[in-house]
Amino acid sequence: MTPDEVTEAIKSQFDDAVKASEIKGVEARMDIHQEKSYEILAALKGMGFDYLNCLSAVDRIASGELEVVYNLSSLSQPTKILVRVRVPREDPIIRSVVPLWSTADWHEREAFDMMGIRFDGHPDLRRILTSEDWVGYPLRKDYQDERLVPYEPV
Amino acid sequence: MSPQEMEIAEDTQETMEEMYVNMGPQHPSTHGVLRLLLKLDGEVVTEVIPYIGYLHRCHEKIGENRIFTQIIPYTDRLDYLASMYNNFGYVLTVERLIGIVVPERAEYMRVILGELQRIASHLIWLGTLGLDLGNFTIFMYAFREREKILDLFESVSGQRLNYAFYRIGGMPLDFPDSFLADCKAFLEWFKPRLPEYDALMSDNIIFQKRVQGLGKLDAKTAIDYAISGPMLRASGIKWDLRRNDPYSIYDRFEFDIPVGTSGDVWDRYMVRRIEMDESVKIVEQALQGLPPGEIIGKLPKKLKPPVGDIYTRVESPRGELGFYLVSDGSEKPYRYKVRSPAFVNLSVLPVIGRGCLVADIVAILGSIDIVLGEVDR
Amino acid sequence: MATVSSETLMEQFYNAFETWGLPLFVPQLIVMVVVATAVLIFVAVSVMFMVWWERKISAHIQVRFGPMRVGGWHGWAQSIADGIKLLIKEDIVPEGADRLVFALAPMVVFAAGFAAYVIIPFGPGLIVSDLNIGVLFYISISSLTVVGIIMAGWSSNNKYSVLGAIRSAAQAVSYEVPLVVSILGVIMTVGSLSMTRIVEAQQGVWFVIPQLLGFLIYMIAAIAECNRLPFDIPEAESELVAGFHVEYSGMRFAIFFLAEYANMFTVSAIAAALFLGGWHGPLLPGWLWFLLKTYFLIFVMMWLRWTLARLRVDQLMNLGWKVLLPLAFLNMGITGLILVLRG
Repeated sequence: MTPDEVTEAIKSQFDDAVKASEIKGVEARMDIHQEKSYEILAALKGMGFDYLNCLSAVDRIASGELEVVYNLSSLSQPTKILVRVRVPREDPIIRSVVPLWSTADWHEREAFDMMGIRFDGHPDLRRILTSEDWVGYPLRKDYQDERLVPYEPV
Repeated sequence: MSPQEMEIAEDTQETMEEMYVNMGPQHPSTHGVLRLLLKLDGEVVTEVIPYIGYLHRCHEKIGENRIFTQIIPYTDRLDYLASMYNNFGYVLTVERLIGIVVPERAEYMRVILGELQRIASHLIWLGTLGLDLGNFTIFMYAFREREKILDLFESVSGQRLNYAFYRIGGMPLDFPDSFLADCKAFLEWFKPRLPEYDALMSDNIIFQKRVQGLGKLDAKTAIDYAISGPMLRASGIKWDLRRNDPYSIYDRFEFDIPVGTSGDVWDRYMVRRIEMDESVKIVEQALQGLPPGEIIGKLPKKLKPPVGDIYTRVESPRGELGFYLVSDGSEKPYRYKVRSPAFVNLSVLPVIGRGCLVADIVAILGSIDIVLGEVDR
Repeated sequence: MATVSSETLMEQFYNAFETWGLPLFVPQLIVMVVVATAVLIFVAVSVMFMVWWERKISAHIQVRFGPMRVGGWHGWAQSIADGIKLLIKEDIVPEGADRLVFALAPMVVFAAGFAAYVIIPFGPGLIVSDLNIGVLFYISISSLTVVGIIMAGWSSNNKYSVLGAIRSAAQAVSYEVPLVVSILGVIMTVGSLSMTRIVEAQQGVWFVIPQLLGFLIYMIAAIAECNRLPFDIPEAESELVAGFHVEYSGMRFAIFFLAEYANMFTVSAIAAALFLGGWHGPLLPGWLWFLLKTYFLIFVMMWLRWTLARLRVDQLMNLGWKVLLPLAFLNMGITGLILVLRG
């Protein structure tokens, strides 16, 4: 499926859940609302995008939101997908995609560890890179720690 | 009935006491600071739980506070056994974000150094796998070959490890005059070595019996767990980013993609072993086609990419190395995320490690080929 | 020691004590102590040589040099330096360890290995005690090392040690059976268990030729008995970090180390005596031939260690019970058949 076809299919199925979309080369990019994120991703998997390259978390502090970015691809077609979902900062919960792609397990744990996003339905959501008793979410823009020294370029 | 086929009944507690054994974080065979909690039933492993994060150095947070060029030395230290390739992936990401075209000569240099780095990385893998299985000699031989590659790298960049040699837009320095001859001499020396290693490893029945049928990973599970690199190819899927999603000038070279069948440790061994031969071919072709010319394009003094984000992936020796960069128009990245192959490949260990013996965990871990610097960042 | 040339010397020695009014056991005791000391010194020197030799062989196989400095010529004094280093190390006993058993274990292992030197025929007449159950004595005494190993693993109060000790015990016991059965062919041919008798019977043809299968089985089982690669699962550094002797350091570890190399010498010496003709050989004196044959076998063991990978514990057991033992029985059967047919 070409990126246009994918975007068309998703828009026709979930038209109000897709905030914005664009095509960049072979990549179809979509910004979607949080409510139907799992269904849209499941639909994308159904279209043949069974390879989850990367799941990243971005801190959009300016708009008071946290963003989860999914990079999908397929081993049988050149089209790539980039899906962005925003969740509110005060209560960042999003449905886990571990049932769709098992690799999301560790990626979501890292997103939880670093950004504090809770993944609803994750089998074992605990910190992965920091120690189990760490307090705070290090990759957030407003993370405070007395050991963090601002970088002064020489 | 081999241990791998043994059924792990949920209620084995009634007959045997299950023992928890800790492997690591300090252990000669976990390839770094990795902690594996093994649940043992006698000698059989019923569960493997990896604990990572012992080498977490806040790479991504540091990246948010450095300008784009300053991140290059940090990328070296991700997968410190394949530093050139980390640099390669990162500068490629920034170049694609900004839209910079790299000069021809620099592209050829990148491929030559990248493939030599692949050989060096696979040599370490080979040596340490043999060492874990008790064959001390292959470790020495593999490291002797790697020393020659490090000598080449030292003549080019001044460093034996952690080179920081790629730049956004090209390369910082040209090859020294002796490099072409030295590189050709190295390749001539190296080509007959690999069949020598076969006599020590692949042709030896003890090695074969140790690794064949061990740690099987079928294709469906591999895709589900987003496995990449030699591990994916060993499971029967012919997927190599240099061929299927070409970057730089890889589409100009002829090389085969070795594919395994059952995804066991033996197949992963053979895939990496043959990949070394293929990398030699690529280097030879690149050396022949190396054009004269500039090595770096014209760039503004302050590099400010347009607002946006990009995800770029390269085929590092360990698998798909991806960089996700979000830029807000300033000189520093807004969000810098590294998708490291070792991190993702390691997550499948609990699945393939069940039902084997303690001695096999070491072999399986060796075949996944992890580097903790990449796993933990 | 009973040699023809010094018989009168021994009689004079005994008579001297009798004239001084001391009972017979006093000179006997003195002789025993002297002989034991001589053998102990031989073992110590031999082990020191073997340690240096192993480092040299491993180095040259791995395209390195090995010890080059200590003592000048190719680092010949390296073993002495290592021995002194081990001697002056702090004596660490892990917390919760059974102190008495912990201290006794290396001694048991070493004593069992050392006792086997009683029946090694270094040359014609050069044997500590020509027991007429020589081979049987060796087999029974060498089984005692298993006891020492289990003592070591258990008393260390460490999960890894226990695992290593159990593996080692299982391995030792499993490989003793084919070891013994492989020798039976030789014993049946000679009709005696005495070491000197067996060596003398090889005047014409060394037993390695008619008993080639037995020899090969013996060598494989012997390497397994010594816990050497490819059978060194009990000491695997990369898996259980040295197994049953992980908690030992300093002098105690040195004794384990010594015992392993002494064991290597013993099994090679037995093989040289039983299969390679003992002290027989042209031109050179008998004891020199014996040592040459023994050290050649030790060289082969070292060569194998640095070339091959390690067998997994279940593969090891399979090899011992399902391959070597049936072959050893086959060898015994064929030998018996040939002996009966020959009349």
